[in-house]
Amino acid sequence: MKSLRKTTFPAVISTFVICFVFWLLITWSLAVQELIAGAVVSLAVSLFAARFFIHEKAFWFLNPVKLIVGLIYCIVIFPIELIKANLDVAFRALSPKPRVNPGFIKVPVGLKSDYGKAMLANSITLTPGTITVDIEQGKNDTGNDECFFYIHWIDVKEKDRVKAGDIIKGTMEKWVRRIFV
Amino acid sequence: MEISMTLRVIIDVLIGLGVFFAFAGVVGIIRMPDCFCRMQSSTNIATLGLFLALIGGLVYAIFVERNAATAAKIAFIAVIYIIQNPAGGHAIAKAAYNRGNEHLKSVVDDLANADEAEQPATLAKEGDE
Repeated sequence: MKSLRKTTFPAVISTFVICFVFWLLITWSLAVQELIAGAVVSLAVSLFAARFFIHEKAFWFLNPVKLIVGLIYCIVIFPIELIKANLDVAFRALSPKPRVNPGFIKVPVGLKSDYGKAMLANSITLTPGTITVDIEQGKNDTGNDECFFYIHWIDVKEKDRVKAGDIIKGTMEKWVRRIFV
Repeated sequence: MEISMTLRVIIDVLIGLGVFFAFAGVVGIIRMPDCFCRMQSSTNIATLGLFLALIGGLVYAIFVERNAATAAKIAFIAVIYIIQNPAGGHAIAKAAYNRGNEHLKSVVDDLANADEAEQPATLAKEGDE
């Protein structure tokens, strides 16, 4: 177990902003009492939770380019992958004999930051047909960081790790790299 | 509240498609051979099945009810769901792998070599149903 990170001031601020926006969304009122109660609760929560919630740069979401790229990823790129995979798995399940060819594949991932890895792993899990089971991080022989995902794949078309990774990740890794490096 | 015909058709088609994907997911959960394939099929319900129905509800809330609070809450459900669902998925998949012999039906199993070799000697021979 790694020791806990320090709670930094920018992390508290950004956690506070997110908590407060969610409070506004849920209560949907601008009465003064509601706002004060929300601010107090958000501050308490962000003091406790900031160290778990924000790990690297706290204000990355204020960078407009990354925000726009992130929006494009969430609205265009990811749904396209989602619809393709959904149709595939739906017809797999509805076909007269379930056509499955399952297996666990170890796939190399080129992302560096924790956020990027988490986002790619979540994207892969949300896509029907692939589930990220485990992540292995470490150093290779030359001392560079390397990272592998263990992915359960419902239809193993390719046993070679790199080619399988290209099929599974598709365009997603390229776009996640534009957001989180 | 008057609903124009076009809106009505759009909302119904969205929710109907959502129901189709949810149906396919449920059929998959029943018919798939092992735990992991069932989880894959259940992702169908969790993604397009839910999201198309939510988008239908969002269109209804914005254009028919004209109620911003309802729309915000529907968007909130979608955001929370897209964050929570994969977290549960990872946990269940890892637990299922560690727990049992379900994964022995797999074609390739890279994860087996990663852990300390605890592969049982007898491989279950899987016939078709």
